[in-house]
Amino acid sequence: MANHLRFVGRTVMVQNGNVEAAYSALNRILSHDGLVDVVRRGRYYEKPCRRRQRLAYEACRRVYNAEMGRKIGFLARGARQDPWLGC
Amino acid sequence: MSAALAVAWQRLLGVARGGCTAALGRGLRTGPQRLQDLTQAAKQAEDQSATDLSPLILQRNSMRWDGKIYEEIPIAHIKATYNNTHIQVVSFDNRPFARTSCGTEGFQNAKKGTAIAAQTAAMAAAVKARGKGVLHVRVMVKGLGPGRKAAIKGLTMGGLEVISITDNTPVPHNGCRPRKARRM
Repeated sequence: MANHLRFVGRTVMVQNGNVEAAYSALNRILSHDGLVDVVRRGRYYEKPCRRRQRLAYEACRRVYNAEMGRKIGFLARGARQDPWLGC
Repeated sequence: MSAALAVAWQRLLGVARGGCTAALGRGLRTGPQRLQDLTQAAKQAEDQSATDLSPLILQRNSMRWDGKIYEEIPIAHIKATYNNTHIQVVSFDNRPFARTSCGTEGFQNAKKGTAIAAQTAAMAAAVKARGKGVLHVRVMVKGLGPGRKAAIKGLTMGGLEVISITDNTPVPHNGCRPRKARRM
């Protein structure tokens, strides 16, 4: 956005002179939006075959991490009523 | 998006007809920005009606720095490449104040692509701009290099007060093909 929304997008105002916090907030926003990865990857050309492999890998990774997180959350359940009550 | 824009435009016209023609007459230069601010305000009002999480960007129309509004404060462009860092302080109407880079500060070759070099270059630029009467500055950073954070820190250490940080890294919508991947 060179000349169009010039100081509206990707802008963080500095509060109370705390430049470090503002910069880290900006970095957090950019990495959360995926801009940092895009810029880093765009430094060298990524051939279409490599891109397809990477996208497939990331999709599998996402599914695996979600399932593992679900499993761990299930196993780490704490406050349940005692299933062996009375035995 | 166009619906929100239409709503915001109607509100702007309503405000103008209410008698506040000074806001419209301030200049076509700031017109689109005010429209975008109103659009964002409308969207924010729709999203968070009860909570007061309005970011500072919406409130900065009423903030003043040395009596100047946000759009009149000089800009410090920082171009942080992987091998060097350039800093240029410019006024809001593109009159130059100071221009330094790691090379002008005496560093050579690989040492230019370091954070310390960027910090010294920023401190020199800040001192030069201070000499021309610049106090507050809004920073625009371009590129992901080693001098990105260090240059902002150098500007504050050199005496300029940073009021906002913008990221202006160019992101092509699949334009020019970059160079081939390195095989190491």
